[in-house]
Amino acid sequence: MIAAKNVSLQYPDGTVALKNINLSVKPGELVYITGPSGSGKTSLLKLLMAMEFPTTGTLEIMGRSYGKGQTGPIRQLRRMLGPVFQDFKLIKGRTALENIMLGMRFLDIPASEMKKNATEALARVGLKKKANTPVENLSWGECQRISIARVLARKPLLILADEPTGNLDRENALNILELLVGCKDEQTAVLITTHATHLIPANQNRIIRLKEGVMEEAEA
Amino acid sequence: MKQLLHNLGYFFHEAGIIIRMNLLSHLTSFFSMALIFLILAMVLAGWWAGNYVIAAIKNEAEISAYYAEDMSRDAVLRLAEELQKIAGVKEVLLVSAEDAYKRMEEMLGKEARVLTYFDDNPFSPILEIKIDLAAMEQVLQSVQQTDGIEYVRDNREVLDRLRQLAGAVRFLGYLIITAVGISTLVIISHLIRTGIENNREQINTLLLLGAPDSFIAFPFLLTGLLLSAGGGILAAVLAGYALRYLFARVGEPLPFLPLPPLGGLVLKLAVFIILLSALLGLAGSLSGLHTAKSRS
Ligand SMILES: Nc1ncnc2c1ncn2[C@@H]1O[C@H](COP(=O)(O)OP(=O)(O)OP(=O)(O)O)[C@@H](O)[C@H]1O
Ligand SMILES: [Mg+2]
Repeated sequence: MIAAKNVSLQYPDGTVALKNINLSVKPGELVYITGPSGSGKTSLLKLLMAMEFPTTGTLEIMGRSYGKGQTGPIRQLRRMLGPVFQDFKLIKGRTALENIMLGMRFLDIPASEMKKNATEALARVGLKKKANTPVENLSWGECQRISIARVLARKPLLILADEPTGNLDRENALNILELLVGCKDEQTAVLITTHATHLIPANQNRIIRLKEGVMEEAEA
Repeated sequence: MKQLLHNLGYFFHEAGIIIRMNLLSHLTSFFSMALIFLILAMVLAGWWAGNYVIAAIKNEAEISAYYAEDMSRDAVLRLAEELQKIAGVKEVLLVSAEDAYKRMEEMLGKEARVLTYFDDNPFSPILEIKIDLAAMEQVLQSVQQTDGIEYVRDNREVLDRLRQLAGAVRFLGYLIITAVGISTLVIISHLIRTGIENNREQINTLLLLGAPDSFIAFPFLLTGLLLSAGGGILAAVLAGYALRYLFARVGEPLPFLPLPPLGGLVLKLAVFIILLSALLGLAGSLSGLHTAKSRS
């Protein structure tokens, strides 16, 4: 699903955000990416969403590599992904349900299933009664959950969640993690970045630590 | 295509949001487009009605021959017979001064009372000659050379005047079509571009979620189409009313003017204006999308 070999990323201003990353993720895996602020977690996810491209090294996502300007294939890749953005990127002026449906409208999901998926996803994040509330009237934590519901409804192959527990209290953070982890199945892999290492359940998950763009992997 | 259909409700909803986001400038654009389409409609109506009148007059291939009023009735009949023999003449009718008066009375309808201002019958008796249009020139010459004919009046002069007028109207028409085309394109394309700039954030999110360009562009395309075609429809409706009024004003005092049937004219005009406005709206939106895309 993901195969990165010696990938590094340098931004145009000269900042080297990632150095020599080697990473392989298979369907059905759950991977936590941790590291202090500025260590390159978001940058790694940006590479995986083809928002940025490796400066050196090779990166294959879903079996192929992408370059700048390959608009068609990049959009196709993104339709298989489930991104949870650090700033949510919900669309203002639209209700929670509309936001969730909007993430599905251009996928191969039959019209009849769209609303059903969206309502189910809302129920899973516990916000069924907020379906018709405009997103600007929702609290931070509720927006967080709507952005996750948008991902769930898309039934993606690779979930990329950037700091989904940020600014949440312990209980809500654990709920969110549980929701995301629950999406993992034989086909779907889940990547979660967080600096809240204490929230990561102590089991056999993969944990990747980033420090100033350098990666080290530890088996938990 | 299927996706487009089941997202149609969403696209209209989005177009509504785009319009409401910047309601004032969308409304002003809508009404100014309606106004320029209305001007175009009126000029086109003049152009088409003019053509109709010219064609109708041309088909009335008829000349009037005047003879000395003191000619005896027998002489006039003989003259008519002679004229009948000219190749290209279909029919010769004797129209007495009284007949001519009655005809004018009918033509003027309500306004016929102007005729009462004359003490004597102002009309002369004439020979009305219906002819084959193709033979107009020869027939005219032969009739003019026939003994007893004093003066021949044909409608070529009137036709020439009308043609000149129609030519001017047509020129005006081309000018206005060009002006309407350019201004609609500029207005719509500018609206779409500002719409896109105001929706940058949403568009970026859609891009990150993998939405194809066509999905992102469609609400904007629809906005341009709705505004322009909406302006076209409003213009067509207003033009319909304006023409009905004008026809009543012109047609009543001039009942002999062969005006085209109002219904047909309005229908043709409406179809043309609405199609043109839709087309221009589409083209303007596409150009707006194109420039917005190449700028980003
Ligand atoms: N567009 C950019 N241009 C230049 N430098 C950037 C850009 N984006 C990020 N950086 C830099 O790259 C480094 C890694 O940033 P990144 O956003 O990946 O960190 P992060 O681990 O996600 O941090 P946080 O936990 O605060 O979200 C930082 O030094 C950041 O300043
Ligand atoms: Mg980050």
